[in-house]
Amino acid sequence: MNCQTCHERMTELADAKLDPETAALVRAHIEGCPDCRREFESLSQTLEALDKLPAAAPSHRLRARVMGDIEAEKLTLRRHAGWASSIRAAADSRRDRRPSWVPILLQSLGACALLVAGFALGERNATQRQLADLRARVDTMSQLFDQSVLQKRATGERLESVLAAAATQKPDERLIDGLINSLAFDTSVNVRLNALNALYLHADQDVVRAGVLACLPREPNPLVQVAMIDFLAATRDREAATELRKLVVDSRADADVRESARRAIDQL
Amino acid sequence: METDAPPSDHELMLAVRDGDLDRMGDLFERHHGPLFGYLAKLTGDRSAAEDITQVVFQRMLKYRHTYRDGGSFTAWMYHLARRCASDHFRKSLTAPVAVDPSELERHADESSRADESAAIRDDHALLHRALGLLDRDDREVLLLSRLQELSFAEVAGILECSVGAARVRAHRALRTLRDHYLQLQKDPTS
Repeated sequence: MNCQTCHERMTELADAKLDPETAALVRAHIEGCPDCRREFESLSQTLEALDKLPAAAPSHRLRARVMGDIEAEKLTLRRHAGWASSIRAAADSRRDRRPSWVPILLQSLGACALLVAGFALGERNATQRQLADLRARVDTMSQLFDQSVLQKRATGERLESVLAAAATQKPDERLIDGLINSLAFDTSVNVRLNALNALYLHADQDVVRAGVLACLPREPNPLVQVAMIDFLAATRDREAATELRKLVVDSRADADVRESARRAIDQL
Repeated sequence: METDAPPSDHELMLAVRDGDLDRMGDLFERHHGPLFGYLAKLTGDRSAAEDITQVVFQRMLKYRHTYRDGGSFTAWMYHLARRCASDHFRKSLTAPVAVDPSELERHADESSRADESAAIRDDHALLHRALGLLDRDDREVLLLSRLQELSFAEVAGILECSVGAARVRAHRALRTLRDHYLQLQKDPTS
């Protein structure tokens, strides 16, 4: 063992963190090398002094502040869980209703039922077309959103707009579009996260879920990506599965994002 | 009589990740003291250390879903603490100054403090000053390496370097601290 290696292992020797074999080697070198012995004694004294340095203690305010943060997070969690369950309940009720009235209609109205079923099928196809159209529009920024106008406003103003939209009890289509726009195109992570939080309240709308899903692949920030994935998992949007699988295998994606996507797929 | 062992930090954090947020309170009780002590020595500023400690727990709540099944809670917490401290230094745009020892020790241990001799207090003051003279990176690696809960491998993980590099950096930081400390002992006005 040379002096350099011996020096690098001195701290661990003083802390008794070396394996017996290495410790014996370092000790043997120290005993035979006056320079290293002096160095070891000197560093050991400094370590001892450092370890004896009294630790500062925080004020009592810290506990109150952190406990307050925990309570606030619990409230947020309950709110999100409430929305997620209401969305699931609404979806379940739609699923339960469909098989009950279609057979009755078929039995009672005979041939007319075929017309109704055909209409229903056409409507579903129309919804799919609308969602595909929306995704295309989100992807092509210029058709949906006048970015030049938005980006001229300060971040604080844009955040205020999003928070005001979130506080609106019965938002119209324009307001919902605005929130999706902010989620898709705003340059501020804070604004995008708040837009997503606001959209939780309207997650029962197909357009909202499709909007979030369309924004996911173009989102550059892992934090927002994870929040979007949580949103899609909470809303049990099965249409998200394909996009999530892409993220799981995307080696360029952040590790936390991939892990969140994997979890979300399990939930879906 | 059968006694249940208290849940490990890892188990508590997994519970938090799964939505049992009250367990974060348990983790706070276990870890806020050493974490605050580390940050107080790192920043040399009690108020900033308190703010950063709060932010660390906020981030643990916010990013709880990123906690890994096979992870070490302490290593994860100090990893977040490092990021939060970096944000603090970036925002303040000032290098941390040497601490005021009397301020740092004010709440340390009131009962034992009465027994401390003036010489020991002076010695602590010199060591605090010597710590304040270190570069932030040196102070960081040295303080992390002195945390009993962390292995060198975990310190290396937090610093995002190899174990060998962490070992060398910690050793150099300790030597620099020793040199400052000895210099201050010889000439406290230096």
